[in-house]
Amino acid sequence: MLKIEHLNKSFNTKKILNDISLTVQKGEIALFLGSSGVGKSTLLRILNNLETINSGNLSLDGKPLNLATINSTHTVGMVFQHFNLFDHLTVEQNITLPLERVLKKNHTDAQTVAHALLHRYGLSDKKDKYALQLSGGQKQRLAIARALAMEPKIICLDEPTSALDPVLTNYVANNIQQLASDGYIVLVATHDTDLLKKLDCTIYLMSEGNIIEKAQSKELYNNPDAFPRIKKFIAGHE
Amino acid sequence: MESFMIIDINLIIEYLPVLLQGLMVTLQIAAISCCIGLVLGTLLALLETSNNRLLRFLVKIYVIIVRGTPMLIQIFCAYFLLPQIGIYIPALWTAIIAIGLNSAAYISQIIRSGISSIGIGQIEAAKVLGFSTADTIYYIILPQALRTTLPSLGNEFVTLIKDSSLASLIGVAELTKQGNFVKSKTFDAITVYFAIAVLYLIITSTISFLVTRLEKRMNIHAQD
Repeated sequence: MLKIEHLNKSFNTKKILNDISLTVQKGEIALFLGSSGVGKSTLLRILNNLETINSGNLSLDGKPLNLATINSTHTVGMVFQHFNLFDHLTVEQNITLPLERVLKKNHTDAQTVAHALLHRYGLSDKKDKYALQLSGGQKQRLAIARALAMEPKIICLDEPTSALDPVLTNYVANNIQQLASDGYIVLVATHDTDLLKKLDCTIYLMSEGNIIEKAQSKELYNNPDAFPRIKKFIAGHE
Repeated sequence: MESFMIIDINLIIEYLPVLLQGLMVTLQIAAISCCIGLVLGTLLALLETSNNRLLRFLVKIYVIIVRGTPMLIQIFCAYFLLPQIGIYIPALWTAIIAIGLNSAAYISQIIRSGISSIGIGQIEAAKVLGFSTADTIYYIILPQALRTTLPSLGNEFVTLIKDSSLASLIGVAELTKQGNFVKSKTFDAITVYFAIAVLYLIITSTISFLVTRLEKRMNIHAQD
């Protein structure tokens, strides 16, 4: 269980995240919904030590999370909005290099892990291609595979559909749902209302650094009027 | 056609071994200076893109001094200054070090621009995956920076080969110096300098060709 308590983040005098508190269970998808600049991506970046916090506490399964050393513990994996794959490496090397250099696996073991993940994400036939040569959807699957190879407990996906063709939304949603089914804590930052409709998740609507409404996706669709702000946001983006 | 007649082919053939001897020294200067320039230039580029303001300032000063003064003066400085501080090394090595240090300043700026062209996303991805700073530089930043700067680095190496002729002015028996020696024996300046020019051209063209081939090979990765 990931617990975030009273998290605050400011850039100079501008408040980006204001007293954020929430809990995400294992196998749960927490979807942070909101327009650009409301702080949802910053929250994911904080969890990956790409931004520092001003105050707040984070814990995983009851143990405090030290954000300063979180990258070396491989607790959190990140799928970036633009994937940030290593374009000068092959698809296989994108997975094996971190395994060899960071987890100190030997090349054969790293290849075994890579082949299994590439098979799972339908990229086996692309293993010798360069990351640059993949399509948008393939790049995202490789980015997920690369993150999973490090065996994190939490997976963050920043705007997972924004760099893809809209027809791929179903496919992306299936991949995200599968991550939750596999037992990962999944955090998604998005403004794509199509994506949230396809996920079984907890929705956190954000505005100016605050969580202004929370809803379970099933409850939302059974009774949208109970969540007027989320309903309004969805209506405004259709 | 008349201009071609003033080139004495027999003289070139006769003195070719002497010129080739000089050419080997030229290649030696160029190759070792190039290694010094590449290693030191990469290091300077990394320092210049680091967060340490003092190091960035010192690199900038170094680059300003080296780029702002003629290489010939730098070679002379090394040649006359080093013995003054008790360092006695052969003229060949004085030239190699001076040219290498000069080249490092230019190469540092080429590689710095390559590093700057790499998106912050690459560095963030490496950080999130848990790469150390050294591994991020070695496996992620430098391969991409060198790839994007390959054409400029190729030009720098070609320039370096031509600049190596300045070593002749401190007595190093490289190609130009050997040519001067042949000229003083034969008094046929046009033939000798023609032969030297052709030899330089062969070497620089070969380097340009190889760099272009390497560039094309690397660009294949970007094609579908």
